[in-house]
Amino acid sequence: MLTAEENEVLCRVGPGTPMGTVLRRYWTPAFQLGDLPAPDCPPIRVTILGESFVAFRDTNGTVGFLDELCCHRGASLTLGRVEDCGIRCLYHGWKYAVDGTIMETPNLATPTFRERVKHGAYPVREAGGLGWVYLGPPGSEPPFPEFSWASAEPDELAVSEMIMDCNWMQVLEGSIDSSHVAILHLDTLATMGSGPRSVGSFDFAGEPWDLDMPVPGNRQGQGPRPGVWPSDDNAPRIEVENTPFGFHYAAIRDVTGDPGKKFVRVTAFVMPYTALIGGSPGAVIVVPRDDYTCSSIGVFKVPKGAGLTRRATGVDPAVWGPEPANRRIRLPRQDREAMAEGKSFAGFRGGNRIQDAAVQMSSGEMYDRAKEHLVPADLAIIRLRRLLADSVRLVEEGQGPVGRGEGCDFSRITAASQIIDAEQAWQDLVPAHHGTPEPSRKAVAS
Amino acid sequence: MLWMSVVVDKACTQIWEAWGSGASVTSLKVSPAVYSAVASARPGEIARDYPLMLLGLPLVADDEVATYDPVVVWKERTC
Repeated sequence: MLTAEENEVLCRVGPGTPMGTVLRRYWTPAFQLGDLPAPDCPPIRVTILGESFVAFRDTNGTVGFLDELCCHRGASLTLGRVEDCGIRCLYHGWKYAVDGTIMETPNLATPTFRERVKHGAYPVREAGGLGWVYLGPPGSEPPFPEFSWASAEPDELAVSEMIMDCNWMQVLEGSIDSSHVAILHLDTLATMGSGPRSVGSFDFAGEPWDLDMPVPGNRQGQGPRPGVWPSDDNAPRIEVENTPFGFHYAAIRDVTGDPGKKFVRVTAFVMPYTALIGGSPGAVIVVPRDDYTCSSIGVFKVPKGAGLTRRATGVDPAVWGPEPANRRIRLPRQDREAMAEGKSFAGFRGGNRIQDAAVQMSSGEMYDRAKEHLVPADLAIIRLRRLLADSVRLVEEGQGPVGRGEGCDFSRITAASQIIDAEQAWQDLVPAHHGTPEPSRKAVAS
Repeated sequence: MLWMSVVVDKACTQIWEAWGSGASVTSLKVSPAVYSAVASARPGEIARDYPLMLLGLPLVADDEVATYDPVVVWKERTC
């Protein structure tokens, strides 16, 4: 649990808030590169961390990321014309370059103003199908997170984005929560022909129900994949170790029928947005748009030629809302009939991301964690909050937040999902581990 | 401000350590300030006379425990 006050600190992200200040010290994935496909294409409006910006690709192909409103009279530059190496406001024709230089002020003949003042502009990096921006103090950028997929060609990446109507922490915590996988996603595992067939007293009555659902690692269609989830153990042992980028955590389960082995899923959490999940060929990145809306971005490496850099959702198109860019999720109807007949556990067609979205948004627009009852299986979520809280304190003291990855080779950060000998260390599976076990005080005997 | 995230993280880590050494955990000692914060967050449970619990353990207020150093109480498992 958190106090109501601490919950507010961790959840609110606007300018000047404690967490907003922390998040502005990291590179933030802000938009899909597929939305700016060519020089001088239409600009896009981007809302992140409670602020609105305009992103555009100029005549030379360089991406600019500027404060949305024209610094003259406040018209939105998203209405503007992208032309001749800049973006021009429709209202009075002021024109800006990608670095914020005010190039022209048609209704102000003297150059003094535009020579002395620049429009708000932020560093941009293009990587992994995404445009990343840095909104912190100039010159304080951390190392850029060059993940293994950062330099992949567009046809090797599937990038998807779900805009969800809830606070970002609800979605981020879900992305690193291992103990729900064999429960909420029981339908998914059944479709894969793997994993448990029951949750408590619930048993599947028949064959898997949602045969069209996308399943991890296999975007379209799926034959049975026995062995992907070789365990009936719904109470994994959780181990977490801090790293220079955040932490690794391992969910360790018994292997059904083989006591000499263990089934280990190792997730890498990279501060402050990204989870590389064991058994998945990519990452889930959760970025706050504002306090009550976030984007859950999936970036997945796929066989060359299979990449879809735009609108690759992996879910039924019918669930997508009308705006913006058809990415806001609307939950499908929960199939109570299938649930009652024992054909489905969760009743949501569309796979893991739909099931996750349903429960994450069901907590309301901003869940009050003072009401929750955490259990030890929530250790990864607990550690996430600890790192964020530590970062808030450090930044308030004038230092940098934790997990900015100084000296870290992001391309070597991996997750893992594997059966290993019971005596083998899970850290062997993740070469970039660099674990530093959290020191804790000794428990005392009663 | 009281940072419960620190308290909970330290307590949870101790629980897993105790379990890893084969012990069973019985209660969680916290400072009066932490106890009070949990109590104020759960007026419904107090009103129903439920025990205050954190991480599945009964919570015990202890003046000897520092705010950010919770203590998990455990005992050796006996067969």
